[in-house]
Amino acid sequence: MRTLRILSEEIANEATVVNEFEQTLLRIFILVIMFGLGAGLTPKDFSLAIRRPWGLVIGWLTQFGIMPLTAYLLIVTVLFPFSNGGDVMLIALGALIMGSVPAGTTSNLFTYFSKGNVALSVTMTINSTLWAFIMTPAALLIYSRLLGLDESLQIEFGELAIVIVGLIIPVALGMLVRKFSSNIGALLELFGSVVGLLFIPFLIAIWVPRNWELLLTTQWPTYVVAIGMGLVGITVAYYLSKLLRLHPMNARTIALETGINNGPLAIAVIVAVYIENPGVDKILLVPALYSLFIVIISTLVTLVFRRANLAAEQKIPNLL
Amino acid sequence: MTNSPWLAHYPSDVPHQLPAAAFANLPELLRSSASQYKKQIAFTQVMPNGMNGSLTYAEVDRLSDHFAAYLREDLGLAAGDRVAVQVPNCLSFPILAFGIFKAGCVLVNTNPLYTANEMIHQFSDSGAKTLVVIDMFADRLPAVLASTSIENVVTVKISEFFPTMVGGVIRGVQKFWSKTIPKIEVKHTKFSAAISSGKAKYQENKVSGYITGLNSETLAALQYTGGTTGVSKGAMLSHGNLVANTLQMIAHCGSGMRAGKETVLTALPLYHVFAFTVNLLGFYYNGARNILVPSPRPPGNLRRAFDNYKITWLSGVNTLFNALLNERWFQDAPPKYLHASAAGGMALQASVATRWRELTGTPIVEGYGLTESSPVLTFNPLTGTAKDGTVGIPVPSTELKCVDENGNEVPVGQPGEIIARGPQVMLGYWHRPDESAKSLQNGWLHTGDVASMDADGYFTIVDRTHDMILVNGFNVYPNEIEEQIAAVPGVLEVGVIGVPDEQTGERVQAYIKASVPAPSPAEVTAYCRTNLSAYKIPQDIIFVDELPKSPIGKILRRTLRDEATASRSAKSDANKGA
Repeated sequence: MRTLRILSEEIANEATVVNEFEQTLLRIFILVIMFGLGAGLTPKDFSLAIRRPWGLVIGWLTQFGIMPLTAYLLIVTVLFPFSNGGDVMLIALGALIMGSVPAGTTSNLFTYFSKGNVALSVTMTINSTLWAFIMTPAALLIYSRLLGLDESLQIEFGELAIVIVGLIIPVALGMLVRKFSSNIGALLELFGSVVGLLFIPFLIAIWVPRNWELLLTTQWPTYVVAIGMGLVGITVAYYLSKLLRLHPMNARTIALETGINNGPLAIAVIVAVYIENPGVDKILLVPALYSLFIVIISTLVTLVFRRANLAAEQKIPNLL
Repeated sequence: MTNSPWLAHYPSDVPHQLPAAAFANLPELLRSSASQYKKQIAFTQVMPNGMNGSLTYAEVDRLSDHFAAYLREDLGLAAGDRVAVQVPNCLSFPILAFGIFKAGCVLVNTNPLYTANEMIHQFSDSGAKTLVVIDMFADRLPAVLASTSIENVVTVKISEFFPTMVGGVIRGVQKFWSKTIPKIEVKHTKFSAAISSGKAKYQENKVSGYITGLNSETLAALQYTGGTTGVSKGAMLSHGNLVANTLQMIAHCGSGMRAGKETVLTALPLYHVFAFTVNLLGFYYNGARNILVPSPRPPGNLRRAFDNYKITWLSGVNTLFNALLNERWFQDAPPKYLHASAAGGMALQASVATRWRELTGTPIVEGYGLTESSPVLTFNPLTGTAKDGTVGIPVPSTELKCVDENGNEVPVGQPGEIIARGPQVMLGYWHRPDESAKSLQNGWLHTGDVASMDADGYFTIVDRTHDMILVNGFNVYPNEIEEQIAAVPGVLEVGVIGVPDEQTGERVQAYIKASVPAPSPAEVTAYCRTNLSAYKIPQDIIFVDELPKSPIGKILRRTLRDEATASRSAKSDANKGA
């Protein structure tokens, strides 16, 4: 849902141009994917995710604890010392915003492909999005003070409401369809996952040609921040969950949920607030790069998780 | 009837004897439930992703008539001709099996995962001329057909009788994604074509004519067995055997099995005699809805079946119950509507039974039987007193005794070989008069299983006679030791055998598959010490990644013994070399 935002709002950036057709296509993609994910779920899955709230609590902590902190640490240890001029303060602001926004729907898709707990993932996305009203500005406030950036940012209610509605409605509809017909539900789920598979290369395919110049001119410390944020988030959240003895399936879910932030949302709020700022393209730099690389990182992580999942499957003898 | 103390423990809703032959043959039994439950759903096949197809009783009846007509009219088979069926659990299975019975032919159930050599043995031994095979495994046919007498091949799709769209998607996935449909290089007829051709030739009076002369003594199925002892041989099960065992099983469940109201999950393969009689025949006769799962591997494949249907009955083997108990989704949401579960095929471990009852809050009863007895001989009563660790009491019209080497009945509580008599006991082994004579003596089936009977008539299986270990002259039964080791935390599966020992004759050797972290051998030994006499304590404990198992998950002690022998001779060779 928000991923389209990324591209539509980036028009402001003038580095990217997404046409109506692509926007509509992306919108449909995400609807179909969420619909399909919903068709794989039952109310029981959600009641379990809520009945066992540890996953949610830990997810909340990693979401608003680890991600902004990681952004901050990367800024202080890599971006500031190693950047060669070029508006590092603006880039840092973008990175901080990127680290402070909640999770997005992309995490639900990757959780599905990782054979994680999709109900937990969806619940966590809703949870972190609701908390974002308070937590995103709070995290920004704390870290921008620490960095000496005198910035504060409000997130509009509308932005978050769209995320939540765009998530809940297709998922609920999918569940309803499955209840009505398990065959149609299974078909939708399969179709959604096929679309999900196409979605990943599609995102990359429309991102790269328009932004290749960006890729060439960006300094390496910015890359480290944009790539490192997701990577560190996933890794730390995964091992923390393992340490707290969460079920491996839930640990994988929390890892992806934490590391994959809502890039489109970050871009949307930046555009909304800083559109008049001549440095807006610099603020958008990390979120734009993050949005590309998180898809690549998550794909690789998903492959690893799938393998781990397969290895953990119970091997029972041939009953066939 | 001889001494039958169990009759006093029959629940009030279980008859001592079955009424005189209610049906002369299987087709009569099948038709009676089809006419009673017409529009009810008889079978639903559920794929791991939830895609499904269903057939009603009336549809199963009609389609199996058409298949019978195909066998007789198109293929020109005669009564008594063997038809091998090699398909996993799917909607086609009941149509094939029932159609074969209705044609007066003989069903030869075959494991779809058999190797070419096993197929050749079973097809040549049975003399089958017709084979119905799942297309996924038809690539083995060129090698097999050359060495057998099979003339007709019918191929079945896994998605047969599914809604068109869903079936098409499954087919597409098989063809283009998982690539599980090999090119079939022998002449064959598609099942759908066979059914339409049978439909065209179907005439009611003709089909009813196929079964004239089918009586309780007529051969209905060849059920191959002997995988654990050596060469596989065909147990000849008659129409009377299978009808009787179906009715015995139902009668024994009393009010625990509600006619026309149950939904049974069939995760065990129908080609195996346990699922064949209990699930396919028993629950069909009882008007249940049968949820067929083509493969319960991995156990996650069963999740959608449990999610989407109100499962009331489950039959399984220890391995399956244990696997479900270890699945997180199953622990999180145990089946709400479950009424009862039946365990057979192998010993149900007490720890598994207890956990099952605790988690599901429903009874699980263990029974006992053999392929040679169609298979059910005993079951714990569902509505009466179930005794854990026992296989219960004989089903109606069945006698069991424990006897010594001389055939004399042993005193209560003493171990002896089980011998059994009843209408479910096979006719003999196909074309093996010597083996048949050894197995069937004066109408009693000699099972080769050692058991003891308590004063109430409940039987406790001690072990297979040939699995017994002799340590310093003491009889050691592997089951007893396996039961103890299985209770050690971290032990997933265990197999115990005897290996030659210079001092004690034989010594106990345990093979363990453990979780991570694995218990140490010392922990296992310490646990055994608290519960077992010294001579029963395993002297060697070997940790392995996998234990060899039979198709239904029985741990194959014979293979373990072979491996132990091989490793001993390898060692002694190495010593010689050094």
